[in-house]
Amino acid sequence: MTAMVPSILPPLLLIGPLAVALFLLTLPWFRDSLPEAFATDKGSVTLLERIHLGSVGYVFLLSVAALIQVLSSGAISAFGDWLFVDALGAVFMMLIGVVGLMTGLYSIAYIRHDLESGAIDAGKVRIYYGFFSLFLFTMLLAVTANNIIMMWAAIEATTLGSAFLVGLYGQKSSLEAAWKYVIICTVGVAFGLYGTVLVFSNAADVLADPHQAVLWTALVGHAAELDPMLVKLAFVFALIGFGTKAGIFPMHAWLPDAHSEAPSPVSGLLSGVLLKCALLIVIRFYVITVGTVGTGFPQMLLLTLGLLSVGVSSLLFFVQQDLKRKLAYSSIENVGLIVVALGVGGPLGIAAALLHAINHSVTKALFFCSAGNVLMKYGTRDLRAVKGVLRVAPATGLLMMGCALALAGFPPFNIFVSEFMVFMAGLNEGYGWIMALCALFLCITIAGLVKIVADSVLGKSPETMAKGDVGWKALAPLGVLAVLVLTLGFAVPQPLSTLVQQATAVVMNGDSRPVVAAPWQTYDRQTYDTARAGGQLVTGSLSQTEISK
Amino acid sequence: MNGFLIVNGLSGLLIVSSLLVTLAGNPANSARFYALQSFILVMLFVALAGATGSGELYLWSFTALLTKVILVPAIMYRAFRRLSDPTIGSGAVMPTALSIVGAAVALILCFVVASKVTLPAADAIKPALAVSLALFFIGLACIVAQRNILKQVFGYCLMENGSHLTLALLAPNAPELVEIGIATDAIFAVVVMAALGSRIFDTLHTLDARQLTSLKG
Repeated sequence: MTAMVPSILPPLLLIGPLAVALFLLTLPWFRDSLPEAFATDKGSVTLLERIHLGSVGYVFLLSVAALIQVLSSGAISAFGDWLFVDALGAVFMMLIGVVGLMTGLYSIAYIRHDLESGAIDAGKVRIYYGFFSLFLFTMLLAVTANNIIMMWAAIEATTLGSAFLVGLYGQKSSLEAAWKYVIICTVGVAFGLYGTVLVFSNAADVLADPHQAVLWTALVGHAAELDPMLVKLAFVFALIGFGTKAGIFPMHAWLPDAHSEAPSPVSGLLSGVLLKCALLIVIRFYVITVGTVGTGFPQMLLLTLGLLSVGVSSLLFFVQQDLKRKLAYSSIENVGLIVVALGVGGPLGIAAALLHAINHSVTKALFFCSAGNVLMKYGTRDLRAVKGVLRVAPATGLLMMGCALALAGFPPFNIFVSEFMVFMAGLNEGYGWIMALCALFLCITIAGLVKIVADSVLGKSPETMAKGDVGWKALAPLGVLAVLVLTLGFAVPQPLSTLVQQATAVVMNGDSRPVVAAPWQTYDRQTYDTARAGGQLVTGSLSQTEISK
Repeated sequence: MNGFLIVNGLSGLLIVSSLLVTLAGNPANSARFYALQSFILVMLFVALAGATGSGELYLWSFTALLTKVILVPAIMYRAFRRLSDPTIGSGAVMPTALSIVGAAVALILCFVVASKVTLPAADAIKPALAVSLALFFIGLACIVAQRNILKQVFGYCLMENGSHLTLALLAPNAPELVEIGIATDAIFAVVVMAALGSRIFDTLHTLDARQLTSLKG
């Protein structure tokens, strides 16, 4: 294990959103002693928005700063290694930073609309922004935790932090969704706690210093000395526990309810980021388990659950008529595909899983926010009533069409690149039939997505519907996300491919550098040689300058 | 060895008290029985601290006394006392006798699993270890086989007590902060669940999980 560089950035990153959350949520207790602007709920909405923007902007900037430090000097840590950011954690930290910022910006227009339409009152606006920051904080804590008990506590805290966001509208259905979310996830995560406790107690027995036994980095270093039976048991518990939060079948029951009932920006955050944070914890336990019992046992479990998730969710996706529920099932499917890629293993499989996590995050956040625009415009999520979005709201229609094509895995959108890598890895490792099944299920999804485009985006708009798109404030953040979706689809940028390579090395617990690139990207000589030496199918070719050398 | 005998003996009482929590007629009574169970757990921690000579465990016993015996039951008692939904009775899906038989079967299965653990720390306390695992699953059953959403919260509390006990048994020297982290999280979980449960009751006038079925498919 290489030494970690002490850094002030991880605690700084956490303290901002936490402070904002505590301030906003406890505001009524000391409102009287604050300036005039806070005095009334109505007058303070603008102020609340500014504080919220400050919080999401802060998280974004700090995560970029932390990322730069990780890329230049390796893993950084703080508080006696209790907090750390390695390349693996940095991938997920960036997701929180980027998707948090975009859904945060989008929230402004969305929540204003809800306020004006009377769906929520001014007091709820404060609750919303307060819990939004708290939710960001808990997710950041989960990805920066090196202490495995803290990892568990943070994942548990993400549920508690976001439950009120899910139930924000206070209607029968949203309260029901919030309750299911809390109960299923806390119970699921209780399994995670049991798994964590098993690993920790086991390590506390083996390691000389029990204070070290709680650190993930120390556990990975001593994984070979742990008791195989206990570690297997712990992995099963952790996979059930954190897998519940990640939305893996059959523990996914909370997900469609929570995703569909939450305000759309939160749906984007849940699907885009929260599921991935839980996956990160699964990956961390996977690394320990591989160190103790080898790859066979964990990969078998991951492949089984991943394939089941893809299969079941693709069918449910197809028959679903509620737009946001449909998207929720698509999230389960994509998480399933990520889990399949992890189960396939090898450097390429791991890199494919990570890249797909990133790509799905951006795309799904965009899709949920576009669905939010539809909801603002049509007032319903029922696809039988949503017709002709392109005519009614051209920009939103275009965004939805792009999202649907991207999710279907068409080039030149980002999902194509990572799905291609997943299939390449699967075939490379000899899982032909599993990949064939996945491809079959993906076809069902494509059919469902084409149906969305054909019936709802195109189609004939209702005659009573007023033409005109939602405001620019709602469209601008989505535009940025759309640019990301396209850019990542043309080529994987250099810093990102380096990050994914380094993160893969963390998961493989050694130095292995898979090629992370779109199939049509050309390689320099070194990458080309690594790819061939690593047994990767080389789809790209050498660049002209390299050939002429 | 005497200390470990007390530990194993007390763990038996945990099973009895968990059944009382599960089968109590209303949530307020469950809160009382939960306090009782947590008190037994604290005594068990003290006995274990004496037997293993672990200073950390004495601290644990103290924080557990504050949080599990006093704070959490008080929160639940206060929140749940005013909420009652006579239409669902005890809310149990299974008959009482079957619940008890189920708990016994779970306990036997957990003994089988615990007997396979090879950690040296586990040698003297295998019965208690089996109980801790059983407690976890009784908690799970309490959630699955309960219609009263407030009593489902107690299921979570039982699961949490189970994992807490496993931790204490297998790693008596765990840093105090680990224990505090788990305890704080559990408090927040109970607060959030109680708040949500109360809102559901205020809005929908029911505590019946079977009424919460408008979202499907």
